[in-house]
Amino acid sequence: MNTENEARLPVRLKGVGDSLWVTISPHLPVDVLQDELDKVFSRMNHLTINARIVIDPGESGDHQNLIETLGNFLKEKFGVGHVIPPPRKRSETEERKRRRDIDRSWENWKSDALVLAGRVRSGQKVSARKHLIVMGDVNPGAQVIAGGDVIVMGSLCGTALAGRSGDEGSIILSLDFRPTQIQIAGLVAAGVPTSSGKVAEYAHIENGAIVVEDYLRANPFSRLPWPEVR
Amino acid sequence: MEGKVIVITSGKGGVGKTTATASIGAALALEGNRVAVVDMDIGLRNLDVVMGLENRIVFNVVDAAKGKCQVKQAAIKDRRIDNLYLIPASQSDNKNALNPESMVKLSEKLRAEFDFILMDCPAGIEQGFENAVAGADEAVVVCTPEVSAVRDADRIIGLLYARSITPKLIINRIVPRMVDSGDMLSHEDVVDVLSIDLIGLVEMDEQVVASTNTGLPLVKDGSSKAGQAFRRIAQRLNGQPDLPLEIPTGQTRFWNKIGQKLGLRK
Repeated sequence: MNTENEARLPVRLKGVGDSLWVTISPHLPVDVLQDELDKVFSRMNHLTINARIVIDPGESGDHQNLIETLGNFLKEKFGVGHVIPPPRKRSETEERKRRRDIDRSWENWKSDALVLAGRVRSGQKVSARKHLIVMGDVNPGAQVIAGGDVIVMGSLCGTALAGRSGDEGSIILSLDFRPTQIQIAGLVAAGVPTSSGKVAEYAHIENGAIVVEDYLRANPFSRLPWPEVR
Repeated sequence: MEGKVIVITSGKGGVGKTTATASIGAALALEGNRVAVVDMDIGLRNLDVVMGLENRIVFNVVDAAKGKCQVKQAAIKDRRIDNLYLIPASQSDNKNALNPESMVKLSEKLRAEFDFILMDCPAGIEQGFENAVAGADEAVVVCTPEVSAVRDADRIIGLLYARSITPKLIINRIVPRMVDSGDMLSHEDVVDVLSIDLIGLVEMDEQVVASTNTGLPLVKDGSSKAGQAFRRIAQRLNGQPDLPLEIPTGQTRFWNKIGQKLGLRK
């Protein structure tokens, strides 16, 4: 069947759920549409009796009267049940809100983060499949490895490897950022210049290189419109 | 009452484990405890020299652990301090001559004989360390204010925690003048990284070298700052854990007091 040809037909009919979906071209005169509907509906014989009909003008705009007129015509001639306009399409804002409600997935999210409390000492190696959060310090000579982000709520003085899974969006965040070496998604940065004061800093990949910035000043996730699962 | 086995360790070599063992042992004995100091550095013994007992060695710790002699036979009585005994290391064996199981058994025997047993652990984290900590109840980590010593001490602390031993910390060889000028880590910096209980701060002291060479006990010398610091450490280990820490300062007490009055020093 030629779809282009079909698109030009003044009346198209298909079954949708428990109703018949009739798409019409609203710019044609009413009698032409009635003729076309007559042709289509006559072929269906008894199937039209008490059927639920959705008349879809195929565009937004006020076609209430047209739908009513055609509806009455169909009810009289073919004994259809209900004739209704298509369900209102959601506006862009409504659609965005709805998506966010669906996206509130953190409520059903099983956390993929390994949260540890304590001090990771020299010679110790901690690895997490996804994100790693250490509430404590990472001493010089210690190694923390994560498939995703590394977050140290304390001093990071050892080696930190983030994004082992290859995720270049991974970050390494620490309240006191003094690592011996960091790696994100295989990129290595050694001898990271450290700020003197204790400020929360984070490392991330920018244009193929590791960049360390003041976390609060850069506030990298503040621009996200909605909390996302990471 | 059963004695306590305390292992004195550091990870890094040359930070003063042997001096600390000899001095704390002597200080504990001076307080009336029966003390045994055990040299666990098999093959590289030197605690006997530090204590001036090298020419009296007949049996050693390997003999005692293997049952070739009684514990009492291996223990050499100190010449100057009553109740202080040395169990020397073997000089001809290596670290594999002992194993952790035999050390656990030896520790049990020693507990029955002495109030305190101080184990002088060899440097490193290999067999010698395993043997020394096997029978230990407590551990003292000696660290100098150097980045390398702190790194190794940190590793050792991790290994001790893994064996359910909570270590205590001694910071040795502090040079207050260098700390003040910012050329040396302060004891706060060290404790920040290691975060374990601090039981003593020992100042750099030339008399340590002199007493090590002569085999005279450092703690009997009232003028030695290090000796006095070790005596206080011994008191803290001997049931006075709350004895306040004395922080070595470059200046005399007189200038400190003036500084305090003027609000320059805390």
